[in-house]
Amino acid sequence: MSAPGARSERRWAVGILAGLGALAFLPLLVRRDDVLNFVFLVLLSITLAQSWNIVAGYAGQVNLGHAAFFGLGALVARTLWIRGTPILLAMIAGAAVATAFALVIGAPAFRLRGAYFAIGTLALGEILRNTVSNVLPEISTLPAASIAGYRLTHRYYLALALAALSVLAVAALAGSRTGLGMQAIREDEEAAEASGVGALRLKLTALALSTGLAGLAGGLFGYYHISYYPAHAFSPTWTFDALLMTFIGGVGTLHGPVLGAVLYIVLKEYLAVQWVDFHLLIFGALFIAIVLLLPGGLVQAAARGRELLARRPRG
Amino acid sequence: MLEVRDLEASYGDLRALGGVTLTVGAGEIVALLGPNGAGKSTLLKSIAGLLRPRAGSIRWEGDNLGALGAHQIVERGLALVPEGRRLFGSMTVAENLELGAFAPRARALQAQSLDRVYALFPVLRDRRGQVVRSLSGGQQQMVAVGRALMSAPRLLMLDEPSLGIAPRLVSAIFASLVEINRAGVGVFLVEQNVHAALSLAHRAYVLEGGRIVGEGAAAALLEDPHVRQAYLGPLAVRA
Amino acid sequence: MRILAQQLILGLMLGGLYGLAAAGLSLVFGVLKVLNVAHGELIMLGGYAAFFVVALLGLDPFASLLLVLPLSLLLGVVLYAVLFGFVVRAHEETRIKNSLLIGFGLALALHALAVRLWTADERSIITPYGGSVLRVGGLSIPLMRVLILALAFALIGALHLLLTRWRWGKAIRATAEDWEAALLSGIDVRRAYLLAFALGTALAGAAGTLVAIGYSVSPSIGLEWTLKALIVVVLAGLGSMIGTFVGGLVLGAAEALSAYAFGGPYREVVGLAIFVVVLVARPRGLFGR
Repeated sequence: MSAPGARSERRWAVGILAGLGALAFLPLLVRRDDVLNFVFLVLLSITLAQSWNIVAGYAGQVNLGHAAFFGLGALVARTLWIRGTPILLAMIAGAAVATAFALVIGAPAFRLRGAYFAIGTLALGEILRNTVSNVLPEISTLPAASIAGYRLTHRYYLALALAALSVLAVAALAGSRTGLGMQAIREDEEAAEASGVGALRLKLTALALSTGLAGLAGGLFGYYHISYYPAHAFSPTWTFDALLMTFIGGVGTLHGPVLGAVLYIVLKEYLAVQWVDFHLLIFGALFIAIVLLLPGGLVQAAARGRELLARRPRG
Repeated sequence: MLEVRDLEASYGDLRALGGVTLTVGAGEIVALLGPNGAGKSTLLKSIAGLLRPRAGSIRWEGDNLGALGAHQIVERGLALVPEGRRLFGSMTVAENLELGAFAPRARALQAQSLDRVYALFPVLRDRRGQVVRSLSGGQQQMVAVGRALMSAPRLLMLDEPSLGIAPRLVSAIFASLVEINRAGVGVFLVEQNVHAALSLAHRAYVLEGGRIVGEGAAAALLEDPHVRQAYLGPLAVRA
Repeated sequence: MRILAQQLILGLMLGGLYGLAAAGLSLVFGVLKVLNVAHGELIMLGGYAAFFVVALLGLDPFASLLLVLPLSLLLGVVLYAVLFGFVVRAHEETRIKNSLLIGFGLALALHALAVRLWTADERSIITPYGGSVLRVGGLSIPLMRVLILALAFALIGALHLLLTRWRWGKAIRATAEDWEAALLSGIDVRRAYLLAFALGTALAGAAGTLVAIGYSVSPSIGLEWTLKALIVVVLAGLGSMIGTFVGGLVLGAAEALSAYAFGGPYREVVGLAIFVVVLVARPRGLFGR
């Protein structure tokens, strides 16, 4: 990453964190649950997108089984929490399980390149979803005491903290030697290997970070819902959402996934009224356009726009 | 009549050809010599349309080939026998040959072309139902030359036809080139076996580092001290 | 024992359909080096097309193929011209990755469109002779499924003939093997790509028709069928349509056996597990010969 790029990313990081900080005051100003729920969704999506971004944007691999880690985090965290474990510990346990699973399948999975890695992880994700769906087909509902003591604001602040964590993680990664090594792999894996970058170790590091965050997000999801089907958290929709948000915002950047997540949730909730999946039609088409024309996503579009504006005075 | 003028080509940032000018007249046999990595294959690929040159022009019978796709260049009468033969391994001899006549102009002449190819390489007629992958290197080379001939070319280009082939078959293939030329087809030959190439050709060019460093009548080049030293000296003797 | 045989027969018949579904994907992947993960959605569209052709025109379900095939062919031409024709401009590795992403976007868009147009309900084509059952050696074999298997086999056979006897079929195979050599033979490789893609889409449409007849269609069957097709392609490798058909049969049989051994719900898992194992065992991918 060029120096100006790194500087602007840092500015974005500060800006986003400031924004998140401002959002901390929202529950004090607004008592409406629907607003808080909406912002919660945005925050969860930011975390999900950033977690996916780490492997895709920084290590250059398209992981289509991301939902598996989200689901594992949700399953483990919720099970532990219902049995009495404090939620933070439960979430961390969920993330640990997710990461452990990732590391087990990671080494063989990374033998696959490009598209084969993608479809391989997709299949793995589906295996998990199928199995969970068979083993735990019943809906999971919180015990009455938990429902009575349900505080949306607790979930809200956790989501805020998680979103901030994901942004910080990506920011720290982007500037670090590990992060640069990952980007070298993304650009050209063979060349990076030749120049001494330990590709597999870096990819596994990226995977661990990515799935850990996804596991935390899943744990939060398990904490948030009063009742849900365990298999739902393993649905590939979560992967696809993360993919769309990240790509459309700008894969491999810090602020891209954040922009993408906000745009995605806004459109999704706003358009869901008329036509439930309409946002998917739009995003599907937008996604295709971006892959073909603008691989850098909206971030790249914005950068080009700024370039054009900057040229005007001289012309 | 092939006219290449100031041709430049690159692979990414690597400059492979830095301004090449040469001609191949109708009915001539012209050889292109030079060390490995000189850009000989790049030149042939550029002429054949597999590579877009960065600068310069390629004219064939007066027309500029620059904007044409490789399959269109074949239709115009230029055929390339690529390095390593590049046959359709899972298909039979007959099928490979048949595909060589895919272009419209060639298709009309398919029957006659096939007869001519089998006359030139009788062993192919015997093995026409055999899958090409199972043939020997020399036989595969014959299929490759035959496939190119099926497109009824007026100029036949060959990239290292003797590579990896037993000497006996090499002379057979070179003999066939003489016959092909006698029938009116021009030949542009890139060949490592300098002695054989110069014995066959009327004229030759020498390409080094992406540039033409020598040209002349084949007989004259055989005597040229630089050529003798670089390509025909005791260390450069080829089997 | 009889139950096992019964399950196996049913599994094989479904497997024939898997083979047909995979054939289109295999053709496109082998020739264009493009992984169209929206293939399942194309099958879904074929199923809906058949459903509406039967519902609106009153045709016999199998006869609807006569309309669905050309319609699917046309859709393939359009999709290539508008979308995948641009993907093939990149070299192989970028091409596969881009096509995966684009196929993904296309799948999402088509799925959303289908939900909007036809709701999420399942549709099935009902036929008067649909309930007939053949009794062979104590086994009950639904006539419908037999016809479907026969048709799937016939279509694969027709494809095989197309690729081996038709001039452009040979050109397509040549392009799959070595596109530069194909160009040097005078083959317009872009047209070969277009034809292969259109054929692949037509095969998807046909598979969709048979799915609608023998089973049911809904907007969500896309991902499921894409995965089935991928599993068969990875199992059977590229290059032989007959081989792909056999691969489909193998998958169908494997699913039936696993359902018998471990219970119905795990039917899907065995295919996916085979898929992952084969993929990892062959990390160079499907083109390493």
